[in-house]
Amino acid sequence: MNHVYIAATVTVLFGVLVVLRRVILGPTVHDRILAVNVIGTKTIVLLALVGFLYGRPGFFLDIALAYALINFIATIAVLRYMERRAALRSRGAANLAEEDDQ
Amino acid sequence: MSHHTPSPILRYVARPTVPFIQLYALYVLGHGEDGPGGGFQGGVIFAASIVLLALTEGWPYGRGQLKRGFTDALMPFGCLVYSGVGALCLLGGGAFLGYEALTTSLDPHVRNHMHHYGLMAIEAGVMITVTSSMLTLFFEMSRPEPGDPWELDEEDEAGGQHG
Repeated sequence: MNHVYIAATVTVLFGVLVVLRRVILGPTVHDRILAVNVIGTKTIVLLALVGFLYGRPGFFLDIALAYALINFIATIAVLRYMERRAALRSRGAANLAEEDDQ
Repeated sequence: MSHHTPSPILRYVARPTVPFIQLYALYVLGHGEDGPGGGFQGGVIFAASIVLLALTEGWPYGRGQLKRGFTDALMPFGCLVYSGVGALCLLGGGAFLGYEALTTSLDPHVRNHMHHYGLMAIEAGVMITVTSSMLTLFFEMSRPEPGDPWELDEEDEAGGQHG
């Protein structure tokens, strides 16, 4: 049974590598954020698999749950920051344009 | 809140998860002995649920849930719970935080139980302090400034300051 868990873990790790390519190359910030979020989801599965591999699923599933909750909030926080920065920039540009008119 | 309309999708996804995150925080607090966690981790997860509310519903709404005066009072209160339990152990004739001194019974079963209750009490104190400290850090660092699109209305500012 251990072989099945090891094979599954390696497969998920390969999936992380594939998505990591998008994090590094991602043309826009949104590609990178989405890719990091996918890696977070894969990490949750990875934690569960490692828990079964070590024979202590209860312990690792608790960590996986906590990680799922925190990861979700972190993604929202980063997106919120970008939205706010874009709004500040557009407002700053509008103010500059008004000053030019006067 | 007048300048700022949170995305309805985000709100309807985030709002129902908040009570579950808080319940999980209490679970982490309660199972600190035989699982990962304890007071500190539980407090951080609890604070994260309020941070999620503030991110999706706006700063004034999040601060309205736990006002500044309330979190300011909770920080020393958690320390008081911690040191208070320790001092009670001293009064009972034991060492500082020697929970067995909290009971006069010599029955090892009862003494063992008292150890668990004492541990839980100080962990709850740690959780209260950590939650309020984290929320104070978050809310004071993310306080909207004048000229910000997230700028506060007059009454919101007053509520955040003195509430």
